[in-house]
Amino acid sequence: MKVAFLVNDLALSGGVGVVAEHARRLAELDGWEVTLVLVRNQDEASWHGYEQLAQVSVRSRAQALEDHYDVAVATWWETTFTLFELSAERYAYFVQSLEDRFYRHDEAERMGAALTLDLPVAFITEASWIAQTLAALRPRASCFLVRNGIDKSVFPVLAEPSANDSGALRILIEGAPSSWFKHVHAAIDATSAMSEPRHVTVVTGDRAGLGTVAADEVLGPLNHREMAELYARSDVLVKLSSVEGMFGPPLEGFHRGATCLVTPVTGHEEYIRHGWNGLLTDWEDLRGTARQLDLLARDRTLLSFLRRNALETARGWPSWEQSSQFMAGALLAIRREPPPSGAEAAARLLADLRGGLETYHLHLRERAAYADRERRIRNRLKRLSSTTPIRQLLGLRRFGAVRLLAKPLSPILRRARKALA
Amino acid sequence: MPDWQERITHETAPAIRAEHDLRYRAAAPLIIQAGSWADLGCGNGLAAADALGARRPAHAVLVDVAEEAVERAAAELAMPGAARIVADLTDPAALAEIGGQLLALGGETFVTCFEVVEHLSSFLPLIQWAGTMASERGCTFFISVPNDEFWAIQNPHHLSAWGEGAFEELRRLLPAQHTLLRQVSLSGSALVGWDAPLERHSLEVEVGGPGTVATHFLAAFGPRHLEVARSALAVQSEMLEQRRWERERENDVAVSQRLAIEYREQLRQREIWFEEWRKYIHELERELNRPLSGAGENDLPDAEPSSSATGNAG
Repeated sequence: MKVAFLVNDLALSGGVGVVAEHARRLAELDGWEVTLVLVRNQDEASWHGYEQLAQVSVRSRAQALEDHYDVAVATWWETTFTLFELSAERYAYFVQSLEDRFYRHDEAERMGAALTLDLPVAFITEASWIAQTLAALRPRASCFLVRNGIDKSVFPVLAEPSANDSGALRILIEGAPSSWFKHVHAAIDATSAMSEPRHVTVVTGDRAGLGTVAADEVLGPLNHREMAELYARSDVLVKLSSVEGMFGPPLEGFHRGATCLVTPVTGHEEYIRHGWNGLLTDWEDLRGTARQLDLLARDRTLLSFLRRNALETARGWPSWEQSSQFMAGALLAIRREPPPSGAEAAARLLADLRGGLETYHLHLRERAAYADRERRIRNRLKRLSSTTPIRQLLGLRRFGAVRLLAKPLSPILRRARKALA
Repeated sequence: MPDWQERITHETAPAIRAEHDLRYRAAAPLIIQAGSWADLGCGNGLAAADALGARRPAHAVLVDVAEEAVERAAAELAMPGAARIVADLTDPAALAEIGGQLLALGGETFVTCFEVVEHLSSFLPLIQWAGTMASERGCTFFISVPNDEFWAIQNPHHLSAWGEGAFEELRRLLPAQHTLLRQVSLSGSALVGWDAPLERHSLEVEVGGPGTVATHFLAAFGPRHLEVARSALAVQSEMLEQRRWERERENDVAVSQRLAIEYREQLRQREIWFEEWRKYIHELERELNRPLSGAGENDLPDAEPSSSATGNAG
């Protein structure tokens, strides 16, 4: 079985990490040949953090074009641009999130990412909510569910959570602060609004994006083993993301005896139960989040209950070994099944493209209307400034006393000029 | 310590026996009607023998990783002519051999595979083989896995973890036509005559509905997947054993709590003494112009008491 996973690059990230784990474990199976295809031109091959990929062949796009695969798998929406250039018996798309949500409404990538879900491919996804969404969007497309495993050698399930019966509540905040949907600063703000004693640790690989924050400790970037140690020393992980795929970090924390306080973001429903193994907080509810953290700080019986049940949830979660068996099963099934209908996918793609174009036209019309309004205001101002009274008024500027009297108005005029520009 | 009984024996707790018996009862009509039946992971054959009663299929293939289990199953089922295969179900060659034996026996084929998948280091070969046998050879399969998510402790014999999510992953790898069942736990009570001998009652129970938590997940696939029977089975609880277990647990908790209170009080008392001794010893040391010994007032002492006193700020 010859499989190609298409990735942009091997830069250390959650999504690429998942693909690398599957690739590594599939490559260990008898008769499997697994290739990671780097679809972007690389300055240099980056292997940092992926030393375990020794058995996986890594090839450039140009090299992969000369090969033939049983199944070629896109793993990020931009990699679909290369997917059909490769020669393969079947094409698949490993969907780790609905990636259009990573972009704001006025970003062109948003529509591009959404349209890739219309391609004639078999889907594999890592979260039940994505599988359900794909079933609604593409009811006739094959969709296999392969939830991410947890590396139980790196995140072994603790027998007991680390004791903290009276010390400050140990809060961990993790994420990329420059990603708008991770809301790392909001999580830090919530801890600042607490009234109970706490010790806040922020972990990020992007210190510059974080800036100066009210935390007791800022760490990172950390590797998985260092994260595992940190989770074991933490009581609660706070994550207020508005977009997530499978939502792995709280689950890693569960393995090490940390409970979580999270927004009801997609992916949480897979394993987080409010009041059982974690707590849910409302969207953009800084005070409510702070009050829930205060509750955990005060009520150590509740904290212990949640942390123990988090460990129970972790015990029932599959390992990477199990997860990759499902991945292998999915790829074998995709290879066995007939290919999806290109005509059906094309019809769907064009219908969505038409919908997208209509939205785009609407945006353009709105912008044209704004531009027209702005032009009319500018012309009116121009006409106004050429009238005799205004000309005379402006002529007074040559007198020093007038300029002095008008000085207090200069910030307003500066702002008005800036707005008009 | 939990008592991990991965094989069903005559000593197995009635509630566990009932779970196994029920699965075989659901399969029994298909086993009997089948031209040939294979039981993968047959164990001692006790539950199958109970469920089948006096009836037997025309041919049987008994498969287990332990030879003695296969022999015992053949004896328990009173089927000396049954084919016996000692096999590792992760091995595709062994699976091919089982398939070959089964098809050679002829007739309609039916395979049971209860509580086996979670014991395999790799379940993919079994699932692949079963899917092919069902789709291409007209074989009907009936399999089960436990709901590990509802266990507070990890079963050391389970090499993969199963729950709603994992079963959904498995379901998507099965042939498109399949029947899924949830096995749920029952609680109940019965009224019996004062000195009556063993009585038999028919029960009517309401089961299922939203929020139902399964103890096990079952899937049937193949041409006769719709025919697996849904039913319920209740057995008398062993109240004496149950009471012993509960009382032991309550007693352990009570003893632990009492000890915790006792130790806390002792600790408080010792802290007072310790402070008095420290003050007294430090006063003496000051009078003798000796460096102060032991840990400071706000320090924790070393894990191992030091043989030579070390000075500190006091």
